[in-house]
Amino acid sequence: MSDAGGPLLDARNLHRWYGEGEARVEVLRGIDLSVEQGEYAAIVGASGSGKSTLLSILGCLDRPGEGTYRLAGHDVLSLRDDKLSELRLREIGFVFQSFQLIPQLSILENTEVPLFYAGVRRGDRHAKAMASLERVGLGHRVKHRPTELSGGEQQRAAIARALVHDPPLLLADEPTGNLDSETGRTILQLIDDLHDEGRTVLVITHDQTVADHAPRRIRIMDGTIESDRRREVVT
Amino acid sequence: MRFLEFAALAVRNLRGYALRSFLTTLGVVFGIASVVTMMALGRGAEDEILREIDKLGITNVIINSVKPPEDTSANATRSWTVKYGLTFADFDQIEETVRGLRHALPVHSYVERAWEGSKREDVLVQGVTPSYFTATKIVVARGRGLTVADEEARRPVAVVHQQLIRALGYYGDPLGYDLRVGEQIYEVVGILEDEEFQGFIRKALSSPDRRDNEIYVPYATVLTRIGTKSTSRKSGAYESTDIELNQIVVEVADQVNVAPVARMLRTLLENLHESKDYELVVPLELLEQRRRYQAVFNIALLLIAGISLLVGGIGIANIMLATVTERTREIGVRRAIGAKRKHIMSQFLIETVMLSAAGGILGVAVGYAGTLAMEWYTGWQAQFTPDVALWALAVACGVGILSGVFPAWRASKLDPIQALRYE
Repeated sequence: MSDAGGPLLDARNLHRWYGEGEARVEVLRGIDLSVEQGEYAAIVGASGSGKSTLLSILGCLDRPGEGTYRLAGHDVLSLRDDKLSELRLREIGFVFQSFQLIPQLSILENTEVPLFYAGVRRGDRHAKAMASLERVGLGHRVKHRPTELSGGEQQRAAIARALVHDPPLLLADEPTGNLDSETGRTILQLIDDLHDEGRTVLVITHDQTVADHAPRRIRIMDGTIESDRRREVVT
Repeated sequence: MRFLEFAALAVRNLRGYALRSFLTTLGVVFGIASVVTMMALGRGAEDEILREIDKLGITNVIINSVKPPEDTSANATRSWTVKYGLTFADFDQIEETVRGLRHALPVHSYVERAWEGSKREDVLVQGVTPSYFTATKIVVARGRGLTVADEEARRPVAVVHQQLIRALGYYGDPLGYDLRVGEQIYEVVGILEDEEFQGFIRKALSSPDRRDNEIYVPYATVLTRIGTKSTSRKSGAYESTDIELNQIVVEVADQVNVAPVARMLRTLLENLHESKDYELVVPLELLEQRRRYQAVFNIALLLIAGISLLVGGIGIANIMLATVTERTREIGVRRAIGAKRKHIMSQFLIETVMLSAAGGILGVAVGYAGTLAMEWYTGWQAQFTPDVALWALAVACGVGILSGVFPAWRASKLDPIQALRYE
């Protein structure tokens, strides 16, 4: 399965364009990116810089037009649709800007969804989802529908769902984008804690304060990496 | 096990959209309900007619005397007494020449008034032989039927309906009652089981001028005491008729021979009679005719069922397509989280099938209630059978699959990125 010691995520020369011929628009123009196990990195860039497209590719939702991409030792580009689904299920926990909870399901049921597709039995699903919700501090509101919760609580639930199947990579797309700054801070704190527990975290944002939490910052501009800096110690 | 999980998920999702789910199923509910009701009523009607045809005796051929159309030509001689119908000679011919008969039974009947004090009741006196009761399945509830001894001794005994005696104002035990019919007195020896024949069965069994009350007396007694001539009053005018036999019931020994015997009888009577003063009633032919009608009725029913279910199915497909659009983001999330295309496909297909199956169950329930209501309202006999319910459910599931495939396929083909961004 995953190569022992190798980077968790390794992308080489990623190109992505939309349209053909005259109408062809280059979005990614040769991205090289490698993220080690246990790293916490932020990908920053203005809207239109191509970071959303990069996120889709790194999240195995989209394929590049050119280049190679390995995730946890799998050659992602060679996989069929079904295998990509399995890879997303096993390796990636998604956190979205707009939470993306399923409205007709309760918080607990939402958290159980990845386990459902992983084929985990009903009883185990329940226990694992509860544990994950307690981890993010939502153990007391599991029967509520998403709309009955505040934005911060919804994002916590979404994080609980992302973590429930214990994937190595947490992929967060503007996790604080729909939250006020105070609530945003608590969510970022939660993500920091998860990183401290040894999880690999990749956050995509245009917000400097969000990026400041990550020891590694990758700046994207016009489809290329403009800078890739690491801080040694955060004070 | 996975299927049950998906079914549970489907139930969960449908409950999330309870009102819409309910409204979506209505098309199937009413489609199935109407089919179930119509099937029940159709079968009830069929059963009733089959029962009545069976009462006539499936191996019988019944020949009735009927009054021929009146000869209106100028030189027609009008005699005071109208003579027509089956004759003793006919009967002898049938007995002697037609093979494969168990027996042929002669019936001579006349219309007369029964009376008691000032009470009067018109009765049809049927002079019959003892075997007539078994051949036409007339059941004697109390007392006895007619016997060969009655016949030989030409006894004045009668088997009657209890209502007749009641109508004459006698409320004691009818057995042993001396029933006055015209100038005759018959002793009641048997009471008939109450039996209501309906529609054409009543017509087939009885002579055309039959009254509501009938009494059965020995054939020989009637011929000896009354003879073949009788006078009755019709619309104020007296009419005198001379009919030797009002009816001949021919019982065929083997059911396969009913059709050939009926053919022979037709030919024989055509040769013996100049005018058509008789009619043949063949229960087996009635039965076959009835079955053909039923087949046509069933096809029409299937067509109606098909159309209503088609409409119901289109309704479901339509709503499911709308649902897929509305739940685009959910589909995107599920795909991003790790659902495969087949998972999405299964989810929506199972949801649709469960919707329509629920509609089917509800439809059967509504149809059953509708059947009871129709029975109560119209007084028809309906026949509600479990196999119809099972078929209805199977069809409902089929409709679900057919109407769910396309929306589910659409859902599974959604691009997860597009779906996630869908507003």
